[in-house]
Amino acid sequence: MRLLRRAKNEPDKQGGSLPSLALLWLIASFALLLTPQLDRLPVWLILVCVALAGWRWLAQQGRVRLPGRWLRTGIMLALVAVYLVQVQGSFTVDTAASFFVLAVGLKWLETRTARDFYVLFYILVYLATVNFLFHQEIHWALINIGAIALLLIGLQVLNAPELPGGMKAGWGRLGIMLLKVLPVVVLLFVFFPRMAPLWSVPLVSGQARTGISDTMRPGDISSLAQSSERAFRVTFGGSMPEYRDRYWRGLILDTLDDGTWRQSGYDPYQAPGRVNVDGGVGELKPGEYDVLMEPTDQRWAFALEGSVAVSNNVIKKTDNLFRFRRPADSAVRYRLALEGGDEPAAEALLPGDARRYLQLPSEGNPRARALADELRRSSDEIPAGDSSVGDIEVIRTLLTRFREQPYFYTLRPPKMPDDGIDSLLFDEKRGFCAHYAGATTFVLRSAGIPARVVVGYQGGEGGAGNEYLIVRQYDAHAWVEAWVEGPGWIRIDPTAAIAPDRIESGLRDAVADEGSFLENNWTSAQRYGDVAIIQWASLHLDRINYQWQRWVVGYQGQSQMDLMSRLPGGFGMRELGYLTAGIVGVGLLIAGLISALQMRKGERRDGYQRVLGAWHKLCGRAGVPVRHGETPTALASRLAVAEPAVADSARLFARMVNSHYYRPPSARDDAGDLTRLRRLLATMKRQLRRTGKKRPGIRRSEPHSGKHSD
Amino acid sequence: MSRLTRSRWQTWVKKWINRRIPRSDVQLLTQRNLFILPTAAGVVFCMLLLIMLITGINYQNSLIYLVTFLLGAVFVGAMHQTHRNLSDLELTLVQAGEGFAGDDILFRLRAAAGKDDAIALTLSDDDFSVRVGHVPAGQSIDIALRVPSAFRGYLRPDQIRIETRFPFGLLKAWSWMRPVSAGLVFPRPIAAPEVISAVDDGDQTASSRSPEGNDHAELRPWREGDMSQRVMWKRYARSGQMVVADWEADKGSPHWLDFDAFPGTDHELRLSYLSWLVLERGENNTRFGLNLPGQIIEPESGPAHTTRCLRALATWGEKKPRETVAQPHGTRRYSPSDRPSDATPGAPV
Repeated sequence: MRLLRRAKNEPDKQGGSLPSLALLWLIASFALLLTPQLDRLPVWLILVCVALAGWRWLAQQGRVRLPGRWLRTGIMLALVAVYLVQVQGSFTVDTAASFFVLAVGLKWLETRTARDFYVLFYILVYLATVNFLFHQEIHWALINIGAIALLLIGLQVLNAPELPGGMKAGWGRLGIMLLKVLPVVVLLFVFFPRMAPLWSVPLVSGQARTGISDTMRPGDISSLAQSSERAFRVTFGGSMPEYRDRYWRGLILDTLDDGTWRQSGYDPYQAPGRVNVDGGVGELKPGEYDVLMEPTDQRWAFALEGSVAVSNNVIKKTDNLFRFRRPADSAVRYRLALEGGDEPAAEALLPGDARRYLQLPSEGNPRARALADELRRSSDEIPAGDSSVGDIEVIRTLLTRFREQPYFYTLRPPKMPDDGIDSLLFDEKRGFCAHYAGATTFVLRSAGIPARVVVGYQGGEGGAGNEYLIVRQYDAHAWVEAWVEGPGWIRIDPTAAIAPDRIESGLRDAVADEGSFLENNWTSAQRYGDVAIIQWASLHLDRINYQWQRWVVGYQGQSQMDLMSRLPGGFGMRELGYLTAGIVGVGLLIAGLISALQMRKGERRDGYQRVLGAWHKLCGRAGVPVRHGETPTALASRLAVAEPAVADSARLFARMVNSHYYRPPSARDDAGDLTRLRRLLATMKRQLRRTGKKRPGIRRSEPHSGKHSD
Repeated sequence: MSRLTRSRWQTWVKKWINRRIPRSDVQLLTQRNLFILPTAAGVVFCMLLLIMLITGINYQNSLIYLVTFLLGAVFVGAMHQTHRNLSDLELTLVQAGEGFAGDDILFRLRAAAGKDDAIALTLSDDDFSVRVGHVPAGQSIDIALRVPSAFRGYLRPDQIRIETRFPFGLLKAWSWMRPVSAGLVFPRPIAAPEVISAVDDGDQTASSRSPEGNDHAELRPWREGDMSQRVMWKRYARSGQMVVADWEADKGSPHWLDFDAFPGTDHELRLSYLSWLVLERGENNTRFGLNLPGQIIEPESGPAHTTRCLRALATWGEKKPRETVAQPHGTRRYSPSDRPSDATPGAPV
């Protein structure tokens, strides 16, 4: 098609000469887009990317040459080989992302023409998109959008190398454009129907996430205690529970095997589709609470004891645990409610369950077993008809032992390789919650009481303004639940007996003497909890992020439906679709109207042009169509010949027009001149009409069409 | 699409455009004559947006939605910006150039921006393009555009295209200017064979015979630049006057360049010979006249005279192009090669 042809003299196809500034912006954008990936990319890849982009830049400066085809192919093959060796066949989103980054890096070497520039532009925009899959905090969002802005600036420079007004004008132009389109973007964001995923796309990340896992070896949780990453945030509908009651149950470990506690009977079934990331909409009722959980790549959800599910993205399983249908690979919000009344206690433990919760390795830790026997014997001496009283007595005695004997709660536990429970209980007496929970469960089981280790979090600090609770990885905790006939499962926390501070006010106070709180984590803001300004900044940043996550990132199907249901007129998916189409259409229409109006206004603004146009039209009617490039004086004299009646007015008119256009602007009286010109024009019209009446056969001709109004 | 339909479609489009954009030396770009379409890069960008939207839907990622909408809106914003770049711009043909056939003729144009800046303009005809750069609001800039010529005659580019892709190169807005005024293409000079003028030169008096027996050699006083071999040294020895024998003088009158001096040659070739001769005479600053069928230019000298003669040669037998006829490479191609010599005499020069 002719309209699109023009290949041969495309100004940007000249090749070889990309504007340096454009390239610089592109490289800057690339650097910015790599920052969110830094923690998941291998170091060599980052170095390679820096080297390749640097090479391109030096080539632009003319200091080195870009590699020829063979060298380029060689470099490409070498890097891809290194990548393949590194990846070793595992395919996750991470490896895909690194391959993506590698491809961008290689592309630098063959960025010669505007076409390549555009290819890089597309790839980098998509890289920003990929970044959003992994990081959704507000600062990462700003970095990504900033990088896209840099790309757009780079495109401006590419298309106008001598960017008028310099960079400042470029940014100004972009900023104004973004401001202008912002309302439409917001409307689209709110009203664009959030469809269900078109096909199932798990976000498999190979990266090990910080967080609790489904196995517990003594020492696991103490390493977690060095991390101040957020685990989840909670908003309560009513008042927050007391610190000591904030036991967030995650999962149950019931099998002890070779010193490691494991989860048995875990259901590996994963339903297809994705977890709704925005369960729980509308106002929180008293007793309800919203949990916004960071991605864990696991199916478990954390809940206070005695909760029921409100949102439909979590399911309550046996043992009062909550599970998602699929691993949570992005931040998920779910809503639970605390039940007012006590749960109906289970009458009896099923035989299978009893076996499960009494399981022990056949040998090992003899002294702990002996202790259990001793506890059992001493409790049997108590005269009681009910076995549950004996069980409770055993538990109480054990906790008393923890409380009274010099047991220490420490983040620096000694190594206890053989018969760990024995050495913890009788020799070292120093350990972390995981040690004590494991040991307690062991002793209780040896004493014939069904028991299990519960892993989750305990505590959480208030966010800014105490509006919500932030639970961090160092709040990870392990405790014990034991089955007692009658009340059912009861919570036993040996840590509470050894270090009450941990349960009452958190890990920081519990290990304050030791000074081991976040000792390996120099960059964490929580480490400097005693510096008020850091604490204040960190909390407020977190609040902004929380609101951002809740209202922007978490704005998905359910939130949208909830919002729409508040609007008058029942809004469904289909109505939303119509609405979106309407917004786009109306937006385009309004923009078109505005630009048309502006254009009309521009035409109207020059009063002289209009008067002149009217005069030209008048001359045309009088049979003297204006000729191309004719001066007003010449036209006036021709008009004078054709219509002697208006001769004087026409000459005066022409003189005034000339004097307007050729007088220095300082000596003008625009408004006055314009009025006089208009009056003169009216006079001429009148005179013409009069002569027209006198000579009815006046020759009329249409004004010469075309653009000659100068 | 078969070639036939395509060419038919192209003709139709061209006709439509020509109807829409009448020939004029002044073109004010408005909504009526501005066109805007996405470039190839823009089309790919839209596909990228679609992929991003699908990614956002599949991963239920609000931020990807947000960025997609933002970029989509930026695309629409760019549409307005690109359009505004050109709208209200006034393009004027200041001077249609002159030159020899086969050369590129310079057309001088002036672009005057309206109330908005016109950024990154490119002006092009079928073969050349000029990057104009930036015209600030309310100011104007002069541009020289080369138009290739193939034949002598009137040269009028069918369409001069003005285009911009600013800001992002995702969209291009363009319009055409279809100038009325035509440039002049002189016949390409071809070294002429020996010339015999049939015009009788009345005031030729200084002719004499050469002492060596050469007939019709003109003797004239020595001027700077004459070769020493031509000086009549015997005469010099006799009289002390440096006299030169002008051998060409005997092959007809040197003052007249005659169309009929090359019997049996094609008309265009004759014009080319004449063009060469005119240039030669012009360089030597000699007096000469031009005799074309239907047009006679009296002998004179000087650059203005040379130009006048060249123009006469360029337009001999050519009609000044009318509004509707488009003749991109000069008029020659479209006129029958063996135009009768009594055809319309040259247009006013």
